[in-house]
Amino acid sequence: MKRHWRYLATVAVVAVVAAACGGGGGGGGPSGTEIPSGGIQAGGTLKLATPADIQSGWDPAKEYEIIAYELYRCCLSRTLNSFRLEGAPTDTNPVPDLATAMPEVSVDGMTYTVKIKPGIHFGPPFQDTEITADDFITAFGRVSSDVGSQGGYPFYFSVIQGFDDANGDPAKITGITAPDPQTLVFKLTQPTTDFPFRLTLPATAPVPAHAAEGHIKDYGRYLVSTGPYMWEGSESLDFSVPAEQQKPVSGYEPNRAWIWVRNPSWVSERDTDPLRPAYVDRIEVAVGGTVEDLANKVDAGEIDFVYGATPPSTQLQKYLADPQLTSRLHAEPTGAIRYITMNLAIPPFDDIHVRKAVNYVVDKDGLRRARGGDTVGELAGHWIPDMLTGGLNAGLDPYATPNGQGDLDKAKEEMKLSAYDSNQDGVCDDPACESILTITDKAFPYPEQNAILTDSLAQIGLKLDVRMGDRYTFMYAKCQDPTALAAFCPSVGWGFDYADGGTYGEPLFSSVGIGSSDYSNLGASSKDLAKWGYSVTEVPSVDDKVSACSQLPVGQERLACWADLDKYLAEEVVPGVVWLFDNNVVITGPRVINWTFDLSGGIEALDHIALAGGGA
Amino acid sequence: MGRYLIRRTLFLVLVLIIVSFLTFLIFYKLPAGDAARRVAGHRNTPEQIAQIRVTLGLDKPWYVQYARFAKGLIPWPGFFLNKDIYYSYASFIPVKEEIYQRLPVTITLAVGAAVLWLLIGVPIGIVSAIRRRSAWDRAGMIFALVGVSAPVFWLGYLFLFIFWFKLHWAPGSGLEFHAGLLQSIIQGKFVLAWLVLSLSFAAFYVRMIRGNLIETMSEDYIRTARAKGLSERRVIFKHGLRSALTPVVTMFGMDLGVLLGGAIITETVFNLPGIGQYTVQSIFNDNYPGVMGVTVFATFFIVVANLVVDVTYAFLDPRVRYA
Repeated sequence: MKRHWRYLATVAVVAVVAAACGGGGGGGGPSGTEIPSGGIQAGGTLKLATPADIQSGWDPAKEYEIIAYELYRCCLSRTLNSFRLEGAPTDTNPVPDLATAMPEVSVDGMTYTVKIKPGIHFGPPFQDTEITADDFITAFGRVSSDVGSQGGYPFYFSVIQGFDDANGDPAKITGITAPDPQTLVFKLTQPTTDFPFRLTLPATAPVPAHAAEGHIKDYGRYLVSTGPYMWEGSESLDFSVPAEQQKPVSGYEPNRAWIWVRNPSWVSERDTDPLRPAYVDRIEVAVGGTVEDLANKVDAGEIDFVYGATPPSTQLQKYLADPQLTSRLHAEPTGAIRYITMNLAIPPFDDIHVRKAVNYVVDKDGLRRARGGDTVGELAGHWIPDMLTGGLNAGLDPYATPNGQGDLDKAKEEMKLSAYDSNQDGVCDDPACESILTITDKAFPYPEQNAILTDSLAQIGLKLDVRMGDRYTFMYAKCQDPTALAAFCPSVGWGFDYADGGTYGEPLFSSVGIGSSDYSNLGASSKDLAKWGYSVTEVPSVDDKVSACSQLPVGQERLACWADLDKYLAEEVVPGVVWLFDNNVVITGPRVINWTFDLSGGIEALDHIALAGGGA
Repeated sequence: MGRYLIRRTLFLVLVLIIVSFLTFLIFYKLPAGDAARRVAGHRNTPEQIAQIRVTLGLDKPWYVQYARFAKGLIPWPGFFLNKDIYYSYASFIPVKEEIYQRLPVTITLAVGAAVLWLLIGVPIGIVSAIRRRSAWDRAGMIFALVGVSAPVFWLGYLFLFIFWFKLHWAPGSGLEFHAGLLQSIIQGKFVLAWLVLSLSFAAFYVRMIRGNLIETMSEDYIRTARAKGLSERRVIFKHGLRSALTPVVTMFGMDLGVLLGGAIITETVFNLPGIGQYTVQSIFNDNYPGVMGVTVFATFFIVVANLVVDVTYAFLDPRVRYA
């Protein structure tokens, strides 16, 4: 999920109350501004802006932000597998990209063999170098490094034999071998049916060994492209001199600009890439500026859209109200959720009836209004988004209330069933309800949402002791740490790294996620609970269900398994309150056509977006 | 004079050490400061955070950490803001590179605004002082009141909205890709920023010059000058203004020094990639080496500006002498 952190945090900062009316745009696939009758004309410069620079200097082994993921996928880095965005909008399963076909899997599910397309070359200055198996091994070597993957997602590759012990030395990853230049063999420590998904992650894109030397920390500014675009100035990279004497690409000016131009290698080998139409010739992203200022630039036609930030409320209102403009407002579900966690090991949340009562009483619509209104997403009633369960739980909401505004009567009925309402009046009268340690983000809109939650919960006798702080150094630190005894964490969001239920199941709901992303301590053992200082000795666990789903092959059975887990969580476990299926909201300028949303990444697909008249 | 300069230079070093130490304490030792957690992002484990702490050197005792940073403040090649210590914890981009690339933008903004506020503030202040209670004086004081009262962030957005978004008289925020400084100036990219920044400063200068000049013009030596038959113009500019401007020089030096350390709000509002904008980005990203580098850099400018002001004093005011 971490790659969504910036997106979610950005929305938190900039989203403001918008008009409560339906979002425009489409729900995946080409939509938005009409494609001219003559078809799409390639060419032109796509001009974008984003309020802040990327977190980790564009190093694919470190970047874990959604906007970076998409830019690698669309533009800079081809991987063994990727996604087909056109033709089947709901298909988020991987397809071969640099691989000739999907991996061959051994009978025991522990060995994956991948054949690499021959004759594909790196971008400049390695335009004469063909991509081979060794270049992938180099990439995995970088990811295995503590420094090289700092802040990244090496945990997805721990299933490869020897990976965890390699620490930057590709030769030590015994689980990856190259019998010939066009063949890669992965040997895993356990069956991992979603492994083909993991081969879509940008960190696995091939890296020329010569280019990686001396750039374990800062490869992003020396990145050699394999996609349709490359950093402007890539042809001037000189890897023949020592790393400290090399000059980085001119197209990346930290905190100021990202500029990509056509990769000539890709252009000449275009027929090897059926996944990326890459319509525009050049992509320029201006970095910096306030969201309001950037919104004005969209209105003024100076830029085509703002990348990675939700439009301000004034702009949203304008585009929602004006039928002429509505087609330029795009709101699509990202596959991310926003939710509130309850610590199952802390009274009164050790009682499922209290947790259900909380679900009934929370004003989800109020929380959404505080965030920006209908446009920012659909009210949620279950945990795993529909696109990860094949839509099997679409519409599931065990705690549905009128207009999502809470139902006090039902909440009180549940509270009466709990052990914390001795006089059976539907209001908690136990001391455990007096001061519930609530840890939350201090940034907008969480203080506003806190006020709503405090009022809602007070109606059933739950009194929040709210502590607010910085999202990273305070909120995450306290909510992640089981010894911090945080009872209620209301400012949490989660999205998928790839479209598989496993990216929700394991980190959020299994004991593997405790200390990291399972804030409810779901699956904690009695021994651990005692060690961490809890009086509650037992909490529910879905470890076995998560494990069972994870081992199923990708397909309908697996989707159904995740759907069952989702239903079980919503009805029988209730680890919190899930209240929003998040939308990606973008307003585009008049030049933008063929607006396409990348469901696999939860963000717009820059390689499919084109400019009217080829940008002329 | 030589001894004075040596003394002041040693004082500069002392100030830099104190400021660097305080900055270190604030950003490294106060409870909110855990850069490792920030770098680790959302999905992390205690082991990963511990590993990052080791990588960043945050596991060392505080005095070792401070010593590493202090070494980077020594103005010597290989030491000063060296990239082994002074780099962004997340992107690994050297702080020195960021500061050096941004310094020209900040200098352009600060110097341009300074020229403008002197051109605006000094004449209005003089006119207000010598035409007391006239319509000119009232207008000058209203200007000063508005300038002092209007915050830069408000004025900045207002100017952008009116002069760029509505009237299209000026370019919007930000600089063009790869545009040189001169090119940006010619494109008018600094005009609104200069104007906004200078208005608030000019307002202070108007009030100060007016007050000082009024007070000076009632001094005995001014009466004497008039009695000797000097022209009013000569009395004001030769005798009155020279004395009245002495405190202005102090103020100007300090203001310019502060701005050279980064006009944080103006650069943010107008999206100018200067040191001030970098400071904001560093603070938001817990990029402590960036904050340290900028703080010490800004302190350096302020202390040097102070020194220059003190030396200039001797030329402007004969009563000031250096022991």
